[in-house]
Amino acid sequence: MAVHVKAPLAGTAVELADVPDPVFSTAMVGPGLAIDPDRAPGTVVAPVSGTLVKLKPHALVVVADAGRGVLVHLGIDTVNLDGEGFTLLANEGDAVEVGQPIVAWNPADVEARGLSPICPVVALDAAADLVKDHASGSVDIGEPLFTWN
Amino acid sequence: MPERRVTVASRVGLHARPAALFVRAAGRAGVAVTIAKIGAAPTDARSLLAVMALDVRHGDEVVLAAEGAGAGAALDELAGLLATDLDAAPSGAGDA
Repeated sequence: MAVHVKAPLAGTAVELADVPDPVFSTAMVGPGLAIDPDRAPGTVVAPVSGTLVKLKPHALVVVADAGRGVLVHLGIDTVNLDGEGFTLLANEGDAVEVGQPIVAWNPADVEARGLSPICPVVALDAAADLVKDHASGSVDIGEPLFTWN
Repeated sequence: MPERRVTVASRVGLHARPAALFVRAAGRAGVAVTIAKIGAAPTDARSLLAVMALDVRHGDEVVLAAEGAGAGAALDELAGLLATDLDAAPSGAGDA
């Protein structure tokens, strides 16, 4: 059964190949799509329903059925911010519903610190040809982002 | 089964970038490789989800194991990778 991955935040869809980090742009982390977020304080929500297997201030992984993990990475190199500017709204290990608030942050803040606020949304360990129907242009929170077959 | 113990050198542990580099190398090894925190059950080193879920921090010691032809060489390479600060930017300032 296909997993329909929804946009965890609002912004503009960006091809992974255009993400300013070779680990993401070469799809080493996996296939998917990135979102260049609206520059305003916002809430990041779960892109799929499942278990919140990993939650860091700057990144989260929700595992849906059949062990399919979706990573949302808030900004590039933001691990170095050590959580500053991010507020957790859920706990690692929680069962979450798609659309459920997970982290609050401000992309403008990340950018002001000299980091890219672009958010890769990645299907971990997925074969590239299983990820389709990529969104393009402006994307609203909760809208379809891509399908993982 | 051949094993290697290594202390993780990546400055912020095995987060997305170093984990992806490690998993890619493990996938190319040609043998099944597992990674485990000391005293914990091994997990598939070729699954990025599994490696990220392990939450390996800077300074954590992990055990790599593999079996079959080429296991020793593969383990040496992967242990070497983990013992390097994979967070060091390849094109940034400082030594390579």
